[in-house]
Amino acid sequence: MTSYMKYVVKRVANYVVMIFIATSLTYLLAASFLNARSNYESRTPRPPQASIEQSLDAANLNDKTPLWERYTRWLGGVVQGDWGVSPTGRPVASELAGRIGNSVKLLAISAVLSVVIGVSLGVYTAQRQYMWQDRALSGMASFLLVVPTVVLAILIVFFAIDINNALPVKIFYVTGLSSYSGDNIFLAFLDFLQHITLPTLVLTIISAVGYHLNQRTYLLDEMHADYVRTARAKGLTKRQAIRKHALRASLIPTSVGVAFSIAGIFTGAVMTEKIFAVHGLGEYFINCINNNDVNGAVAVAAFSGVCTLAGALLADLFAVALDPRIRMS
Amino acid sequence: MTTVDTARRRASGDIDEILRYELLESNGPKGAPSGDPILTVRDLRVSFNTEAGVVRAVRGVNFDLWRGRTLAIVGESGSGKSVTALSVIGLLDDNARVSGSVRLAGEELVGKSDEDMSKMRGSRISMVFQDPLSALTPMFTIGDQIAEALRIHHPEMSADAVRSRCIELLGLVGITRPETRLSSFPHEFSGGMRQRVVIAIAIANDPDIIIADEPTTALDVTIQAQIMDVLKVAQRETGAAVVLITHDLGVVAGIADDVMVMYAGEAVERASVDTLYARPSHPYTMGLLGAVPQPHVNIDRRLVPIKGNPPSLAAIPAGCPFSPRCPMAHDACRAEVPSLRAIAPEEGHLVSCHEMERVRDGRLTYSDVYPGLETRPPSWARTPRSERPVVLEVTDLVKTFQTKEGGFWRRRHSTVTAVDHVSFSIHEGETLALVGESGSGKSTTLLQIMDLVVPEGGTIAVLGRDTRDLKSSAERRAVRRDLQIIFQDPMSSLDPRMPIYDVLAEPLRAQGWERSKINARIGELMRLVGINADYVDRFPTQFSGGQRQRIAIARALATNPRLLLLDEPIASLDVSIQAGIINLLEDLQAQLKLSYLFVAHDLAVIRHISDTVAVMHDGKIVEFGDTDEVFEHPRDPYTRALLSAIPIPDPPLERGRRRYVYRDGELVLADEGIPVA
Amino acid sequence: MVNDNDPTQGTPPTNADMELSADTMGEVKRISYAGLICRRFFRSRSALVGLAIFAALVLLALFGPLICRFDYAEPDFTAIGLPPGPEHWFGTDGGGFDLFACVVHGLGRSLIIGVSYSVLTTVIAALVGVGIAYARGWVERVGMWIIDMLMVIPSFLLVALFVRSASGQDGWLALIFGLTLFGWIGYARTLRTMTLSLRERDYVRAAKYMGVSPLAIIVRHLIPNLGSILIIDTVLGVIGGINSETAFSFLGLGIKLPDTSLGYLLSQASSVMITMPWMLVFPSVALIVLCVSMQLIGDGLRDAFDPYSRAAGSAEPAEIEEEAEL
Repeated sequence: MTSYMKYVVKRVANYVVMIFIATSLTYLLAASFLNARSNYESRTPRPPQASIEQSLDAANLNDKTPLWERYTRWLGGVVQGDWGVSPTGRPVASELAGRIGNSVKLLAISAVLSVVIGVSLGVYTAQRQYMWQDRALSGMASFLLVVPTVVLAILIVFFAIDINNALPVKIFYVTGLSSYSGDNIFLAFLDFLQHITLPTLVLTIISAVGYHLNQRTYLLDEMHADYVRTARAKGLTKRQAIRKHALRASLIPTSVGVAFSIAGIFTGAVMTEKIFAVHGLGEYFINCINNNDVNGAVAVAAFSGVCTLAGALLADLFAVALDPRIRMS
Repeated sequence: MTTVDTARRRASGDIDEILRYELLESNGPKGAPSGDPILTVRDLRVSFNTEAGVVRAVRGVNFDLWRGRTLAIVGESGSGKSVTALSVIGLLDDNARVSGSVRLAGEELVGKSDEDMSKMRGSRISMVFQDPLSALTPMFTIGDQIAEALRIHHPEMSADAVRSRCIELLGLVGITRPETRLSSFPHEFSGGMRQRVVIAIAIANDPDIIIADEPTTALDVTIQAQIMDVLKVAQRETGAAVVLITHDLGVVAGIADDVMVMYAGEAVERASVDTLYARPSHPYTMGLLGAVPQPHVNIDRRLVPIKGNPPSLAAIPAGCPFSPRCPMAHDACRAEVPSLRAIAPEEGHLVSCHEMERVRDGRLTYSDVYPGLETRPPSWARTPRSERPVVLEVTDLVKTFQTKEGGFWRRRHSTVTAVDHVSFSIHEGETLALVGESGSGKSTTLLQIMDLVVPEGGTIAVLGRDTRDLKSSAERRAVRRDLQIIFQDPMSSLDPRMPIYDVLAEPLRAQGWERSKINARIGELMRLVGINADYVDRFPTQFSGGQRQRIAIARALATNPRLLLLDEPIASLDVSIQAGIINLLEDLQAQLKLSYLFVAHDLAVIRHISDTVAVMHDGKIVEFGDTDEVFEHPRDPYTRALLSAIPIPDPPLERGRRRYVYRDGELVLADEGIPVA
Repeated sequence: MVNDNDPTQGTPPTNADMELSADTMGEVKRISYAGLICRRFFRSRSALVGLAIFAALVLLALFGPLICRFDYAEPDFTAIGLPPGPEHWFGTDGGGFDLFACVVHGLGRSLIIGVSYSVLTTVIAALVGVGIAYARGWVERVGMWIIDMLMVIPSFLLVALFVRSASGQDGWLALIFGLTLFGWIGYARTLRTMTLSLRERDYVRAAKYMGVSPLAIIVRHLIPNLGSILIIDTVLGVIGGINSETAFSFLGLGIKLPDTSLGYLLSQASSVMITMPWMLVFPSVALIVLCVSMQLIGDGLRDAFDPYSRAAGSAEPAEIEEEAEL
C-alpha cells in the first residue's frame, strides 16, 4: 500500500504546483484587466480622492501599486489562509462560505439525478439501436444537447409561470432557494422543493443528455467486442451477455466522466444560478467580474481549479478500481 | 437461371447419398465414420443485406459431423468458412438471412430464437475464437469466466463443485498451478494461455461439437503447435466432433480427418485429409497446396501463384466462381456453375469442377495446371555470395528499453535488452532471414537499422557508411536512397488519403527528383510490380491486400535502393496471394540485384526464400548459417524446438512427428498432449 | 513488355507480367474520396434539411436588413412594445426597436462568432495537438503539462476579462478573440490523443524512413488523416461558439449596446417575458433552429465519413466493407 500512497502523493504534488501556477496567472490577468477604481469613482457623490486611494489600498486593489507588489501581498495573505477582501471591504472567504452550501444543494441533487437518468437511458437506447425508442429518445437528447442553456432555462421559466398562472396555487418559484420563514419543517421542505425543482430540472437535462449519449456510444462499442461473443458462445442470450459483460466495461468511461464532472460543479452552474437567482458560487463569480472584485474572482477560480484536479484524481482512482487492467498486479 | 436451378436441385437431391458414400469410403487416419452423424448441414445459405448489395456469404453448403472426428474447413478470407461456423452455433449478426437446414442429432437449429439457441451454445455446441487477446472479458477473473460457462447450464452445481471443475479444466488444458490462476485476470496471461482458457470454457460442459475458428492464427509457431495439441486433448476428453476452420493447410495436415475446401461461399473440394493432400483435384486446391512452401524438403522451384484476387461476395462471377483465376478455365467454366461430384466411383472424393475428368485421367498436379514454376537464376548469381561486396554490416548491435512493469502505481523500472550484441552482414544480391517469435527482437533490429542513428552499442554500416559518420539529416537522406523498408500490413503502410501517384512520388520528392522524371519513374514502378499504370489516381482502399503490398514494394523501390528490409511482408496476406508476392520479390531480386533482410516468423517461407538464416531468441542470435544447413542440421536447442513446431503439409508425416519444447535452455520432448504453460 | 503470358516459348513471364495479364479491375466504378463522402452526405435526408435551413439562415442574415424597413439601432418611437404585426413583423421591444431587425442582426453576429471561433480553434488545436504528439519526448511532456495547467483555470473568467475591456461596437471581435484564445486548449488535448495512434502507423514511419521532413509528415499525413474528425468538429464547434456568445451576452459580459445579439435580446426578454412573450420567442427560435441545423449537418457528415458510427439518429445499419473497395 505504500507504493499506492507514493503514487497519490506524487500526483497531488504535481497538482499543487499546477494550481499554484494557474491561480497566479489568473491573479495577474484579473488584476491587470479588472479596475476597481471605477467602482469608487462612479459613486455619487464621488468620494474624495484620498479616501478612494485608501479604500483601494486596503483591499489591495490599487492599480497604482505595481502589479508584482500586489501579487506578493495577495500571495502572502493566501498562504495564511486569507483570500483578501472585495472592493466593498467584505472578506472573500466569508462570502464564499455562505454560497458553497447553495451550490452544493443545487448541484448534488441534479448530479445524482442526471447520472441515474442519463446512464439508464443510454443503456436502454443502446440495446434498442435503430428501433423507434432509440430514435425518439436519442434524437431528443441530441436536440437538447445543442439548445443553449440560456434558452432552455428561460423557456422553462416561461412555461412554469404559465402553469402557475393557470392554476389557483403557485407551484413553482423561479427565484432563490427559499422564501418560507416559519418553523414548520414540512412546510420548509415543501418550500425548498418548490424553489429547487426548476433549476434542478435545467441542470439535470443539461448533463443527463451528455451521459445518455456517451453511455449509449460506450455500450454500443462494447457490445460488438469479441468477449461478448464468447459470453454468448457459453450459452448466454445476447441480452444477458450485454448486461453481464458489455455493460460493466462500458461503465468505466462513464464513471471516469462522472468523477471529472466534479470539476464543473462550481462554475458549471453559472447560467442556471444567474437565471434562477440562486446565490451560489456561479452567481458570485459573475458578480465578482462585474464588480471588478479581483480577489473574489481569483478565489472562485482557485476553488474551481482545486475541484478540477480533485475530479481528475478521483477519475484516476475510479478507473483503477474498476478496470483490473490498470490495477496493480 | 433455369440451368442453375436444376443443377442446384439435382445437387441437393443427391447430396445425402453422396456424402454418406464419400465418408464410408474414407481413407483418413480414423477410417470411415460409424453410426449416425451428430450434425448434418444441408444446403446452408447465408446472406447479408449491405449498402453494397446482397452479400451471399454461404451458398449451399453440405456436410456431416461425427463425434470423435475432425472436419477442417479450409478457405481464404471471404470464402464463407467463418460464416458457416457462426451459423451452426447461432452467432451471426442480426441482419443475416439463413436458409437450409442444420440438424443437431435430428433437431433443426435454423430458425431457432436466440433464447433457444443459447441453451445449445456452450452445452452441446461450443466455440474457440481466433483472437485470444480479445476473447475474454477483461474485467472478470479467469475463474469467474470458466465458472459462468458451468453455471449457465448447471445452476444446481455447488460452489465447491464449480471450483473443483474449473481447476480440473485448467489442468486439462495445461495450465500449471490452476488453483492460484483462477483469480488471475486475462491481461495477466499470454496469448497462448488465454487460448487455453478459451478452450477450457469450450469443453466445460462436454459438448458434442467444438468449433475452432482459426484458433492459432494470431499465435507464434511454437504456441500454435501447443494449442493444436490442447485441441486434440480437448477432443479426446469430450469425444466431440471438431470443426477446424483455417486458411493454413499445414495446420490441417496433422489434426484433420476430413477436409472441405471452400471458395466464394461454396465447397469446391471434399475428401479425407490423406486423399486431399495426395491428389488435390480442384485447380484451387492445387494452387493452395502449391503456394505453401515445404519446410521439410529442399525443392528448387517457384511457388504456385494464383493470379488475381478472391471475388467479392457481393459480386460473384458468373459460372464457376474460380474461373477468372483458373488457368484451366474455358468458356463453359465462365457460363455454367459446376456442382460437387464424386471424382471416381471407387473413392470418396468430391470435386466441383468442369474439368474434373481431365484432371483425373491425366493425373494432373499443380505443376501441370500452373505453368512457369522453374527457377531462373540471374547471371550475376554465378559469383559466389561471399565474393560479392557487403551491403549491410551490423556488429554487436545493442538496444535496451526501459520498461514500466507491474501495475498502475507499483511501477518497476527495469531494463530489457531487446537486441543483445547482434552481428550479421549481407552481401549484394543475398537474402538473409531473421527469424524468431514475437518479442525476439527481430523487428527492433530492423527499426534500429532504419533509424540510421548511432546505436546504443555496436555499429551499423550501410554500403560501407558507418552511421557514426552520418552528421546531418541530408547525409542520412542520401543513405535512405539505398535503404528502404517494407512493412507487414499494407493496410497501414499506405496512407489511405493519398492517391497512388502521391504515394509513389513521396520518396522521389524527398530525394529532390524533378517532376518530369517522377512521372516516368512512377509508370515504370507500377509495371515492375504488376499494377496497371492507369490506376495511379486511385486510392489504396480501392486495391486488394496483395495489390497494396505490391504498391508498397513499388514505393520502396522508387529510389533504386540496393537493400530492402522486409518486416513480415506476407504475414497478413491470403495464402494464394502470398506466393505471388514471394515470386515478385524473387523476380525483383534477380532483375535489380537487390539484397534482402527478411524478417519473418514463418519458417517454411524462410526456407524457400533465404540464402542464410539467423535465428533470434531473447534478443540474441542463437544460430546463424546457410539456410539448408540450419534447417537440416540445427544445432541450437531453440532452433530445433522451433523447427519441430512448423506444421508440414503432408498428413502421414505430420501425424508421426514428435515435437520438442524449448525450456530454460533445454530441449524437452513435448508429452502426448499436455505441454504446460 | 518483354513477354506474353505464354509459358511455351521464350523466357518465362515474371510474376509482375502474370499479374498485369490477370488485371481485372478495368471496369471499376471510379469515385474519389470526396465524391464518396458527398454522395453519402446528400443521401441523408436530415443532413439535407440541416443544410437547407443553414443556407436559409445565412441568406436571412445577409439580406434580411435589406428587406426590413427598420434598422436594429434606430428605435421607432411610434411603436413601443408592439406585438408582431404587418408593420413590425416580429414586434418591437420596450424601447421601440424593431425585433425583426434585431434578430436578423443578432443572427449574423451569432453566425460570424460561431464560425470564426470554430475554425480558429480547430486550426490552433490541430497544429498544437498534432505538433506536440509528433514531436514526442520533452516537447510533448512539457506541452501536455502546460495544457493541463491551462485547463485548471476556468476559461469563462478569462474570456470575460477580455470581453469586458472591449467597447460596445467591437465587442464581437473581442468575444471571438477571447473565446478562441481559451477555446482550443481542451480540443488540442483530444487531438493529441488521437494522433498517438496515428503517429505509429506504418505509413508515417515509412515517410520518415524515406527522408520526408517532420513538417511535411504533419501536413501531408497526420492532419489529412484526422481530416474527417476535424471537419465534423468544426461544424459542431460552431454550436459551441454560438452557445458561448449567447451565455456571455446574456450575462452582460459579451455583446452590449449599441450592438445587439441573440444573447443580448434574450437578456432583455427575460425581464418582460410575461408581458411581451414575442421578445422571448423569436430569438429563442432563431437560436434553436440555427444550432439544430448545424447539428444535422454535423451528424450527416459523421455518417458520411464513417458509416459505422454509432451517433444517435444515424440512418440504417450499414454493415459493409468500405464502399470504395473494388
